[in-house]
Amino acid sequence: MTKIIFPAPVESEAAEQLRADVRAFLNDALADRTPLQRAESWSGFDRDFSRAIGQRGWLGMTWPKEYGGGERSTFERYVVVEETLAAGAPVAAHWFADRQSGPTLLRYGTEAQKHAILPRIVAGECVFCVGMSEPDVGSDLAATRTRAERQGDGSWKVNGTKLWTTYAHESDYMILFCRTSGGPADRHKGTSQLLVDMKQTEGVSVRPIIDLMGRHHFNEVHFEDAVLPADALLGEEGQGWAQVMGELAFERSGPERFLSSIQLLTELIGALQDSKGAAAEAAIGRLFAHLVTLRHMSRGVAALLEAGENPGIHSAIVKDLGAAFEQDLPDIARSLVDEEPDLQSTSNFAAVLAYTMMAAPVFSLRGGTREILRGIIARQLGLR
Amino acid sequence: MQDVSTLLLDSTQRLLSDLSERNASRTADAADLSADWHQIEEMGLPLAFVDEAHGGLGLDQKTAFELVRMCGRHVLAHPIVETMLANHFSVTAGGALCDGPVHSLGKLTRMQQELAALARAMQMAGALETILAMTISHVEERSQFGRPIAKFQAVQHSLALLASEVAAATAAADHAVGRFEEDADTATLAIGIARARIGEACSKVSALAHQLHGAIGYTREHRLHHFTTAVWKWRDEFGTQSWWTRRVGQMVLANGRGEFWPMVTSA
Ligand SMILES: Cc1cc2nc3c(=O)[nH]c(=O)nc-3n(C[C@H](O)[C@H](O)[C@H](O)COP(=O)(O)OP(=O)(O)OC[C@H]3O[C@@H](n4cnc5c(N)ncnc54)[C@H](O)[C@@H]3O)c2cc1C
Repeated sequence: MTKIIFPAPVESEAAEQLRADVRAFLNDALADRTPLQRAESWSGFDRDFSRAIGQRGWLGMTWPKEYGGGERSTFERYVVVEETLAAGAPVAAHWFADRQSGPTLLRYGTEAQKHAILPRIVAGECVFCVGMSEPDVGSDLAATRTRAERQGDGSWKVNGTKLWTTYAHESDYMILFCRTSGGPADRHKGTSQLLVDMKQTEGVSVRPIIDLMGRHHFNEVHFEDAVLPADALLGEEGQGWAQVMGELAFERSGPERFLSSIQLLTELIGALQDSKGAAAEAAIGRLFAHLVTLRHMSRGVAALLEAGENPGIHSAIVKDLGAAFEQDLPDIARSLVDEEPDLQSTSNFAAVLAYTMMAAPVFSLRGGTREILRGIIARQLGLR
Repeated sequence: MQDVSTLLLDSTQRLLSDLSERNASRTADAADLSADWHQIEEMGLPLAFVDEAHGGLGLDQKTAFELVRMCGRHVLAHPIVETMLANHFSVTAGGALCDGPVHSLGKLTRMQQELAALARAMQMAGALETILAMTISHVEERSQFGRPIAKFQAVQHSLALLASEVAAATAAADHAVGRFEEDADTATLAIGIARARIGEACSKVSALAHQLHGAIGYTREHRLHHFTTAVWKWRDEFGTQSWWTRRVGQMVLANGRGEFWPMVTSA
């Protein structure tokens, strides 16, 4: 496969009307949010905001009505997602559930689970975390050591440690990827996904990990003889690898992979708009060209998803190019504006620059590292 | 209509690959070139942007630009795209169809320059596709240290990046053609975006392709340079990459911080 086409997105009036509604709502709802807070992008956590957006019908938008969903198109969901990101809304309380955990449940959950949980996600009242990485298991996810053993009564006993689990400390549920038979040498065989009730399960403990900026987002989650009910198994026992790859496809496919530092670009334009000059024009022109092109590609991914196709290579390309674009931004901003980056500064530019500069290393790590993505692209090109 | 354009695209594809194979195996003299051009005219390619009323093919814009992309995929010595444009400009200004190949377009109006710039964008997207395909074949065929160099992770990652840049260039060109089709008068921004993004892709793609080809790619005999030197030229024609990039920047900065995101979603 050498020709990689991103299909043109379908423009629809419904989607553009929705865009106007979302903008108006965000304009109001986020009026007090500072640029620095907005720069947190999808790391910002606010249950009230998630509830408010849920009330508008903007979560679980594509899911069946039977489970509270909106049965709307992928494009309409895309509009809500990109507008909330562009505005710097605090979305983390619904982000993971709306993006990947909900769709996974929809596909593999029992009817009882779907009826109990999906409407709560849609209402913006149910927080999920992603239990994939472990201390010895990063890029090599198939090496998972966390183990769930089936008990005589059908229940599961879990032991092991998950690491880097974003917002585990706020979560109602985790979708846990772990081993249910065999050993690490069996690789992806013998792995499964299980639903963990983070609030009710004994033997699950969450310890904070503080990041380089001093913030608490991610955690270490210990399972010590934690017992999960028989119906915690999602999908089929032993099919965890295929399922988790499907989940990662959702995790990688969205515009958050190039919009998470949009606030810095916004502030940079603000800082340059009155003192133009060839260097500023060239830099902004280049960044804008990258951004619009990435968006065209990303909407092409949405078009592929809507058509039921697998956008594996397309998502990997958008995420890899998007991360590079975002990681270049702080240095470009520094080269054009003579201000010291400073989180404490009263200058919005200086504060947002400091934040984005320090957030930048994770852009090519989380959700699959640059090297792993390039490996995926190379495989699709037939080189591996 | 759909069928006619599919047919035309298929036969153009065949003609252009025949011509480029023929070019590769000979030092073309004037007689050869004029025989080639005769075939190109028979196919109607120089009339891609001329409507039926003026003796043209009456193609929709999308198909016409697909033909331009194909010309980029093959990079021949013939000025097919220049002649397409010259015919279009002449006819829309009330003039006649051009006689024979047109090598230079002379002074253009703003709207003419934009169409020409967009055509170059499509040609570059086509040429970059070919560079990707050539580079993949090369790394699969060339062995060092007892295995195809495609098996080295560093090579795989360079190719992944190369493919990503080609995909971005294609997307930027398609986006601009889509906007141009919707409304040619308001497509300036999209064309500028395409020229800025594709210009950058040309640098990255040709650097990676030459790196992965090794010394053989630096020879006159190898075809790689037909494509890399072509994009090095095209990216600065009808407005240099730098000029187009600054144009986009000027438009964004003139609108300022508050209009930035709405500009992204309507670009
Ligand atoms: C902010 C943040 C939030 C996160 N949130 C979550 C979460 O909620 N849930 C969760 O499960 N995980 C989460 N992660 C973890 C993330 O998925 C991992 O960081 C990622 O998968 C990489 O694993 P690692 O950090 O162990 O790095 P490693 O896998 O150890 O990689 C280290 C380096 O080696 C390279 N490398 C590894 N293997 C290869 C190879 N085969 N070829 C070439 N290079 C290779 C990598 O690309 C990388 O550069 C989060 C990470 C971050 C930074």
